[in-house]
Amino acid sequence: MTHDTDQLDQPLHWMAALFSWILPGFGQIMAGHRRRGALAMIGVLGLFLSGLLIGGVDSVDRREDPLWFYAQAGAGPIAFAADWANASLLKTGKVGELVESPPQNPRAAAPMVSTFKTVTLASEIGILYCALAGLMNVVVVLDALKRPVAQLDTGGGRS
Amino acid sequence: MIPLFAWIPFLQPMGALGTYWWLLLLPLILGISITYRATHDASLDRFWYRVSLFTAKSMLAMGSLAIVMYLFVYLVIPILRVG
Repeated sequence: MTHDTDQLDQPLHWMAALFSWILPGFGQIMAGHRRRGALAMIGVLGLFLSGLLIGGVDSVDRREDPLWFYAQAGAGPIAFAADWANASLLKTGKVGELVESPPQNPRAAAPMVSTFKTVTLASEIGILYCALAGLMNVVVVLDALKRPVAQLDTGGGRS
Repeated sequence: MIPLFAWIPFLQPMGALGTYWWLLLLPLILGISITYRATHDASLDRFWYRVSLFTAKSMLAMGSLAIVMYLFVYLVIPILRVG
């Protein structure tokens, strides 16, 4: 019970949380927990970049997969950058080609899609990786919010 | 042409996963384990040992679930009477 009360009394570190959202683990590093922050960064960015490697940049699509994007956005600006790259490179045809796809409504004009866009298993796994990276970064952000600043005399920088 | 050679990393989805797609669960669980252990544990002593253990347990749990589902689909469902 005392332990719970102590945790509730701890101040919230909003700037550390913000830094951790901008760059996963950076809030912990700023608070003196360098090793902890670096490991969290490896975990989250490793997951997100693996997702992009497996599924391509189309794994992050704010317009077509908004529910997935809510989870992916937890990874920070890198998710918005991937969405921007998807919209500005693939959807405009700057990379690959735009071809007509069967319209959902027969009366509507056929939508144009990139030849780099697929509905393969790799694409789905890529979406899942990026979404889990975002959700794990929410955990990292909450950790940065509650974790006390490391004391120099206790060797907190090594934690 | 083998599809792998035409693959442009980060722009196109990875091709030729075939029946080995489930191997991608390992790096997925490893990434989750690293992040979880980095934020959850009070001490980071023996960090990689704990990450390995957590990853192995998660893979074992998923493998067990897959076996149970396999047995259910291929053994239990066929003996169920319809109507």
